[in-house]
Amino acid sequence: MCRGLRRPETAFVGRWIAYFLCAALWLVFCHAPAWAHKVMIFAWVEGDTVHTQSKLSGGRKAKNATVLVYDEEGNQLMEGKTDEQGEFSFKVPEKKTGLKIVLKASMGHMAEWKIPTAEITAVAPVSESSSAPESRKSKGSPVPTAVGLNRQEVKALIDESLDRKLAPIVKMLADQVDRGPTVSEVLGGLGYIFGLVGVALYFSNRRRKG
Amino acid sequence: MHISEGVLSPSVLIAGAALTTAGVAVGLKGLDHEEIPSMGILSAAFFVASLVHVPIGPSSVHLILNGLLGLILGWKAFPAILIGLALQALLFQFGGITTLGVNTLNMALPAVICYYVFGWGLRAGTRQVVFTATAFACGACAVLISGVLVGFSLYLTGEAFLPAAKLLVAAHLPVMLIEGVLTAACALFLRRVKPKLLEGQYVPRPSSS
Repeated sequence: MCRGLRRPETAFVGRWIAYFLCAALWLVFCHAPAWAHKVMIFAWVEGDTVHTQSKLSGGRKAKNATVLVYDEEGNQLMEGKTDEQGEFSFKVPEKKTGLKIVLKASMGHMAEWKIPTAEITAVAPVSESSSAPESRKSKGSPVPTAVGLNRQEVKALIDESLDRKLAPIVKMLADQVDRGPTVSEVLGGLGYIFGLVGVALYFSNRRRKG
Repeated sequence: MHISEGVLSPSVLIAGAALTTAGVAVGLKGLDHEEIPSMGILSAAFFVASLVHVPIGPSSVHLILNGLLGLILGWKAFPAILIGLALQALLFQFGGITTLGVNTLNMALPAVICYYVFGWGLRAGTRQVVFTATAFACGACAVLISGVLVGFSLYLTGEAFLPAAKLLVAAHLPVMLIEGVLTAACALFLRRVKPKLLEGQYVPRPSSS
């Protein structure tokens, strides 16, 4: 029996390769926002509240999914459910530690987001952080005296307006996390597969000859 | 359908990896070099299919195509799906590296089961109606069994089986229909254009096209 890659065979394979490349490109360009099946969670601190936003990778909100909050040692601090918008917010816990926020959606999907300790303490309530700025008061003292506000009130005002101004940017970042596979990743994956086929064919040919 | 990292207990992960290794070994045993290109193409199809998002139903689901792979490849669906899943995990962050074994098992085992259950309907000489019906059933059932297997994996880690499995199957009903139609369409196309790919499993013979 004569075996080997004859012409019709190769032509057939080639045609299919072309079909799949076209299909891949079509998918990538026409369905870009509609990626499937992965969950994501993004969390940020605003004032004394931590906001989280959960999404399925199709851009759909992960509704009614469980959100678990852990501290750095892995102790569970609280548990909650996302609302209709896939959002869940909670107060920064008393103990200032880094947080690990885990999203558990149905069907074995899970994602996590870490908030480092620095981010929590940076926006901690004003009352607590008073001692640190006090020590280097010499530089900033003219401001409060001039306006008639003390240092802490100014800081609170700035924080508040910064939070408000940065909100859209944070939202934008949250959307950025939902980055589906790009064209290069899809084509790269296909390239890997065809490369593996080539390697496999090479070895099987060598074995046949040897 | 892709189970994320950190969801399953280590024993389930190890058991899944062991069974997948066995399946891949069976699939690679006595692999004929003429079958390598079709394996590659189907692996690529599987890889890309996960990007086709089906926006119907309660959740975000995508095509799997494991029925089609099982139909054409039989046991060789194991290595093909393993490669597809590994690349999806590395490039798209679908699933994960530690869950690769379990995920491959959950998708490839139904492919093999469907190959044995529905393979008879795809031999040369079957009537068109029977042929189409079996191909449709093969595509739909593979997804169904996958859903049940994923539910079972979650159950082994401590989730209640029935709610998880019900949710999975309900979410994948539209996918089952679409996959059934797609598998039937592909099988019919292959029967007309390249019958050797379908018959090769049962009637080994040199190229005829």
